Amino acid sequence: MSDLLCFATIALAGFAQATLQLSFGGLILLYHASMGQHRRRKTRHLTTAYILGALVITLLAVSGIAFWISQFAGQALTLEMTLICVGIFLACAAIMWLLYYRRGKNTELWLPRSFSRFIARKAKTTDDTIEAFSLGTLSAFAEMPMSIALFFIAANCILTISAHLQVVAILAYLFVVALPTIALKFYVRTGNNVVTVQKWRVKNKMFMRFISSMSFMMLSAFILAFWVY
Amino acid sequence: MKKKRISYEYSRKGIEQSIMRHAKSLRMPEGWAETIAKRVADATDKWIEDKDIVTEEDLRVFICKQLKEVSPDLAFAYHNHDKII
Repeated sequence: MSDLLCFATIALAGFAQATLQLSFGGLILLYHASMGQHRRRKTRHLTTAYILGALVITLLAVSGIAFWISQFAGQALTLEMTLICVGIFLACAAIMWLLYYRRGKNTELWLPRSFSRFIARKAKTTDDTIEAFSLGTLSAFAEMPMSIALFFIAANCILTISAHLQVVAILAYLFVVALPTIALKFYVRTGNNVVTVQKWRVKNKMFMRFISSMSFMMLSAFILAFWVY
Repeated sequence: MKKKRISYEYSRKGIEQSIMRHAKSLRMPEGWAETIAKRVADATDKWIEDKDIVTEEDLRVFICKQLKEVSPDLAFAYHNHDKII
């Protein structure tokens, strides 16, 4: 398998994960709560810690799964395991379209209400970088039912790539995953507020559902076309 | 199954503080935010005067209606801050 194909799969997997909304929504909550209570400098630190927390969990999960594959699955995922991942992606595409968002003019997600209230409460009371970091890790964990299969495919591609490019591949995956949160950070830094972003999200909820769903479907099609056949 | 009802005492200060927090996160100038908070709290005081009991949702809808007149963004933030995830 060529390195270019591996990078393309990693980019697609990263894009599919980037379309998941829990970490992004958590960051909006943190921004909104923190800017109402603290100075801008502190808000900057808190949001950076939050993004780092989410990325560290992603990094650990992908590296851990890559280690597991290399030790116990014989250097790469078998055809059957790859097909199971494709099946999970197709299920995720359907879930993203039908169940991921709750109904109504909001961006509430599939999470149990008690859990999303817990995250919202934590975001409101966070006033220290360690807490913000753990909130980021929590959001990455909570997103795992949708992202775990993506981690498997990304880890598999990273193992297939030439050894000297493996670190670059992990970093590329993390970069693509973090793009929406980094973009939000720059958007807010240039003098805008998160309410504009939230308004856009509410208005374009259907578009976001479509993009998420399509990204999972495209990844499935890509894997079937280039990895299975 | 019976739903547990919790009642709170109406607090003008709480409403003012909450509006101020949302206004601050929208980067509104402090003086303007204080004026809005005071104006909305005055209207709420007047509205609540002749009522023995109001639900949290009624209060929120009323405050949002008042906020919408001065700042639609602030009204949106006030009404939707717990509907993000």
